[in-house]
Amino acid sequence: MDITAELREIVGVRFSVSPSELYCYSSDASQVKGMPEYVVRPESTEEVSRIVRLAYENEIPVTARGAGTGLAGGAVPVKGGIVLDMSGMNRILEIDIDNIQVVVEPGVIQDALNDVLKPYGFFFPPNPGSSAMCTIGGMIAYNASGMRCVKYGTTRNYVRDLEVVLADGTVIHTGSKMLKSAAGYDLTQLLIGSEGTLGIITKAGLKIAPLPKARKLVIAAFESAELAGKAVVKTFSNGVTPSACEILDRVSLQVLKRYDPKLVLPAEGDVILFEVDGTENSAHEAAEQIIEVCSPLALSIKLAESEKEMADIWAARKLVGAAVSRLDPTKTRIYVGEDVGVPMKQVPELLRRAQEISEEFNLPAMKYGHIGDGNLHLALFIDVLDEDEWDRLNKAADRIHRTAIELGGTVSSEHGVGAARGQYMEAQWGPAFEVMRTIKKALDPKGVLNPGKLGL
Amino acid sequence: MKAGEIKKAGKLCENFEIDRRSVYKCVQCGTCRSVCPVFDVVGWESANTRGRMLIIKSLLEGREPSEDVLPSLATCTTCGICAAKCPAGANPPEVVEAARAQLVKCGITTEGQEKLRSAVTTSGNSFGETKSRLHWLPESERLGLPEKSDYVYFVGCFDSYRYPEFAKKTFEVLQRFGVTLLPDEQCCASPLLRTGFREDAGRIMEHNLEQIRKVGAHTIITGCAGCYTTLKNNYPEKLRVISLPEFLAEHLGDLKLKRLPLTVTYHDPCHLGRHNKVYDAPREVIKAICTLKEMKNIKENSRCCGGGGGVRIGYPDISLELAKKRIEDVPEGVDYLVTSCPLCVRNLRDAAGDVEVIDIVELVAMALE
Repeated sequence: MDITAELREIVGVRFSVSPSELYCYSSDASQVKGMPEYVVRPESTEEVSRIVRLAYENEIPVTARGAGTGLAGGAVPVKGGIVLDMSGMNRILEIDIDNIQVVVEPGVIQDALNDVLKPYGFFFPPNPGSSAMCTIGGMIAYNASGMRCVKYGTTRNYVRDLEVVLADGTVIHTGSKMLKSAAGYDLTQLLIGSEGTLGIITKAGLKIAPLPKARKLVIAAFESAELAGKAVVKTFSNGVTPSACEILDRVSLQVLKRYDPKLVLPAEGDVILFEVDGTENSAHEAAEQIIEVCSPLALSIKLAESEKEMADIWAARKLVGAAVSRLDPTKTRIYVGEDVGVPMKQVPELLRRAQEISEEFNLPAMKYGHIGDGNLHLALFIDVLDEDEWDRLNKAADRIHRTAIELGGTVSSEHGVGAARGQYMEAQWGPAFEVMRTIKKALDPKGVLNPGKLGL
Repeated sequence: MKAGEIKKAGKLCENFEIDRRSVYKCVQCGTCRSVCPVFDVVGWESANTRGRMLIIKSLLEGREPSEDVLPSLATCTTCGICAAKCPAGANPPEVVEAARAQLVKCGITTEGQEKLRSAVTTSGNSFGETKSRLHWLPESERLGLPEKSDYVYFVGCFDSYRYPEFAKKTFEVLQRFGVTLLPDEQCCASPLLRTGFREDAGRIMEHNLEQIRKVGAHTIITGCAGCYTTLKNNYPEKLRVISLPEFLAEHLGDLKLKRLPLTVTYHDPCHLGRHNKVYDAPREVIKAICTLKEMKNIKENSRCCGGGGGVRIGYPDISLELAKKRIEDVPEGVDYLVTSCPLCVRNLRDAAGDVEVIDIVELVAMALE
């Protein structure tokens, strides 16, 4: 069968085999690489279904891709085949305020959805740093989250229904607009975080949340990252749940200052950004409580004075991961070992061990992340033209992954496993991983959906 | 090669040399994907900045350059919004221009590029026009131009040949301040530099420098954003260059402009605004004349008109789509969309529909009458 002709028949000009185009689809934001043989940009469920059926019949790998902002190679076709660029399926199909839900296509950009929801007084809370460009489909496939998940939960908590194309092209719905259901397996939850290995998401029904009336930001600096971690544990155990709780170690702080010298940030130390939201009164009260609890441990602590001050700090924080070359133009941040997580109580220990690893391998590192949910983004940076630094980098990343597992945590808190972390699945899950293999086999017996991922 | 594998090393195009660090600065985060105006209308990964950086990286790492890189590398308008947003501090327009220069050396160009090059190198202007560059100036005035002056008005190809009325109006204002014209101005070289013809550009820049020396000017004033950035940032000699809006803003007191009962909006030309941070001067001039109602995206976030980087000539359909998107940013209830670049005027007019697009000098001329 002439696959090229068949694909062209389905999507017309939204098909490419140009070597340059294929190259652009051979990577995401991670270090994983893999060249596709075809790229198609479907615009309807029917097109996706026809493409997947064609691939299934001919045993050609199919890898779905959103904006390609993933950090684990999830959208990279490591076994070749077809890349489905889903970013053109980007319509918001329904805004159902009465049911506090929306129905969207997978290519809708997270920020774009929130721009549309704002006038209604609602928002879709999971907010990865890449919210300006990442797609909802990608967020669901990788159970993405971000700074506010400490209070609002991850993408998993907001999906009510998925329209999914299965490996043989069959189209199913996994849920409904119902708030609850006690009828059978929860396929919605199974599909979330499945990284395109069980089906291709073509529509999503999402719960939304009312926008809080007020937000406050407390900025606290500490003598060490470990001490900062202790302050966080103390805050939570005093009954405050911030809407964001971020750590920026001293290196990250310097990077942010270089990125935007006008930011109102502490002069030195390891910083925690505590955000609280609610009504004006409740947010104010929570902020005061945080100041009271953390003051004895902090070098400095203050409340952000204006909305703009807050917005500028959050905007810069979102981009800190990529901004490291502002500190040293010869260094590039490489996303490996960047997403580990541990139970909150273990965070100070993880911070200590991460520092040790960075020193042992003589690699400068930024430590930042969602400390309130135990998720640490360790940013190692190297001179990409230095082979030896690459070698040390990979060794350090391996060590950090194993440390997280040892501390009862996870190798990925929100970026996913993809092809970058598959080798740790057995160690993290033990016999449960065999159950995952069985599920994969049952739903994709020919192994055409995103092969080479999740360690499967 | 097996499916899924990347060709690691191959035959390097002997001539393909770019500063590797400028390319490796890109961490492929995709921030640019959310702002690249060309990607917005084309939709393929190769048509956004990250795609372009990846393709350039692949060429550096040994992929043989071929014509199939052109739909990616030749469609960048060099608007620079990606550079403004890049968290890693990369400067993609510079990298793209450097890559185009390398492709030119490897003999890989578009028809549009060649057309542009041929026009500029044979006629000294980007349209291939053969008539005098100063045809808009009555002969008597031409002969009476001061041979020496501290200030010279660099007219540019667009105002010389497509909008001579802009040139006329601009010169009418500038003459009051003793500004003269170059005896034999040629294209500023922007079209050549943006599209990779660096050697040809060098020759024409040297010609203009010689002209400037002849007049003895220490300051060059121009009403074209493309000429402005080129003269200011690309010429081998450091020149003092002032954009027309900056000059007008500086001399508002002398101009005695009358208030007009108009409401206008303003489009920031990429090469004046984002590339050179001239945001306030045009707004100051407009506010001295009438009411300014801003567009949806302004200053650093301003969207490209689609005309730059050789895209208008090479990919007119894409260029027009960009202009249409920019027109969507025009607020309700304005009399004019004002800008300060003739290339933006031309591209926006093509897409404007009911919106009337004018150059800032036209607004000033109305207020002088």
